[in-house]
Amino acid sequence: MENVVQVNGLRKVFHENIAMDDVHFNVKKGEIFGLLGPSGSGKTTTIKILTGELKPSSGDIEVLGMKSDMFQTASFQSQIGILSDNSALYERLTVYDNLKLFCKLYSAPLQQIAVTLREVNMEKEGGKVVSKLSKGMKQRVLLAKALIHQPKLVFLDEPTSALDPGNAAYIHRGLQKLNEAGTTILLTTHNMEEATELCDRVAFLDQGKIQEMDNPDALRYKYSTHNFHIETFEGKKLVMINDVKSADKIGQMIADGQVKTMHTDHPTLGQIFLKLTGKELV
Amino acid sequence: MHLQRIHAIFEKDMKDFMKNTMMLLMPIVPIILAFFYRQMGPGEEMPVMMGYIIVGVTYSAVTANCIMAMMAEENEKKTLRGLIMSPASFLDVIIGKSLVTGFMTLITLVLSLLILGIDSFLNTRAILGLVLLFLFFLFLGIGVGLFAKSISTVSVYVMPIMFLFGFTPMIELMGLSEDNLVKKILDLFPISQLIEMHDSASWLPLGMVGIWVVAAALFMYVCFIKTRQDD
Ligand SMILES: Nc1ncnc2c1ncn2[C@@H]1O[C@H](COP(=O)(O)OP(=O)(O)OP(=O)(O)O)[C@@H](O)[C@H]1O
Ligand SMILES: [Mg+2]
Repeated sequence: MENVVQVNGLRKVFHENIAMDDVHFNVKKGEIFGLLGPSGSGKTTTIKILTGELKPSSGDIEVLGMKSDMFQTASFQSQIGILSDNSALYERLTVYDNLKLFCKLYSAPLQQIAVTLREVNMEKEGGKVVSKLSKGMKQRVLLAKALIHQPKLVFLDEPTSALDPGNAAYIHRGLQKLNEAGTTILLTTHNMEEATELCDRVAFLDQGKIQEMDNPDALRYKYSTHNFHIETFEGKKLVMINDVKSADKIGQMIADGQVKTMHTDHPTLGQIFLKLTGKELV
Repeated sequence: MHLQRIHAIFEKDMKDFMKNTMMLLMPIVPIILAFFYRQMGPGEEMPVMMGYIIVGVTYSAVTANCIMAMMAEENEKKTLRGLIMSPASFLDVIIGKSLVTGFMTLITLVLSLLILGIDSFLNTRAILGLVLLFLFFLFLGIGVGLFAKSISTVSVYVMPIMFLFGFTPMIELMGLSEDNLVKKILDLFPISQLIEMHDSASWLPLGMVGIWVVAAALFMYVCFIKTRQDD
């Protein structure tokens, strides 16, 4: 499948501080790709480099078939959408006027304003002044701003960090729909459930390097011990190896009606990250 | 440069200006000053210098201040990034803002000069002088605006510009003797040149102001290069 993002040997040094060191990854067309990592691991820096806001210290980067020296051009900028971690809106203007500005800057039809507001569950708030909105509402307007020109590829830096679970779920469904319609999405998040639910592939970033990268389910399988965890009605907790010998024993326990709960070991992405780096993801 | 994008930025900044109480107060200053002067000598022909005091106040309080505050606010509130990362170029942003500044300056200047008495400004040389002077203050404002990271620093920057270039005639009124060095230097300043122009038929003062405009443009360019290097 075609790659819309190709990163080879990316390195970024701020003064003496090495933020990214020899990073390699690709994002395929039509994929939702998640960058996960603790604070300071270089997620935002990666997005800034891929969108042309920062220059890489070295490495080969290609986005939508263009090299990084093309990232400042209008033809590149009109094909991508960006929600960065401290984007801002014009506080004295209404939601509608904010989006109208970007509609015009991206040469998108003005009907897109209503369409996009619906996508982020803000269709009734268009006439409100931005300074009167809650943090979560502002976040959704910023997301609308990133999507208004129907970009092929969107970069979302922590898109749901300010949202309550209800609105986060709404946005997740919206992003999935957008993705089904063909938009490639690269997002960063601290939220493991979000990554597991949304992403086709995730990359774990730590100390400026990618520590692991794959489909979330494949990772959870890979790092599973495959043991069975059984809790009996007597309150006993057993861990049994997944092999032929256990089969009879487990079968017997089920026949005897002793098994209260039983599940295979299935680590969360957070647990895998902890195992790999010794760090919590949040 | 892209007309539709410049227009979008002009439209946004115009709306934003109209909702910004701080900014809306600025054009009122020269207008009130004009009323005040008119009251002092009703019916009389106003000395040209009075007119240029109003011009100086308008260009520093409205022109320079307006463009600086708009640029500083985009910097401080982090909205500039959104514009730069869009297909709009930095030049589109500056031109859009300059148009808003020009529009506000024009309204303020015409209103306050109408109140004060506009007759001595209705000739080619005077109008050309006012246009050049506008560009001088605009470029100065853009140059400083590139550096200003917050709105609170703008008032610090606007003060010296206001006193040196806006209030030049007032400093001269403080009674410096003819051969005072400060006075000789101040006589070369743009507003002094324009006042002098009214006493002769020479085009030389306009040339002098033109040199000031070129200097301000250079200053703006240096500021631009400097701020680019920071990233
Ligand atoms: N402009 C900058 N100048 C100097 N150092 C920087 C700059 N931006 C980022 N860094 C450094 O680069 C590293 C990565 O930062 P980055 O913002 O990419 O992390 P992050 O993964 O996005 O973290 P968070 O989850 O907190 O948003 C950090 O060590 C940070 O201090
Ligand atoms: Mg970040």
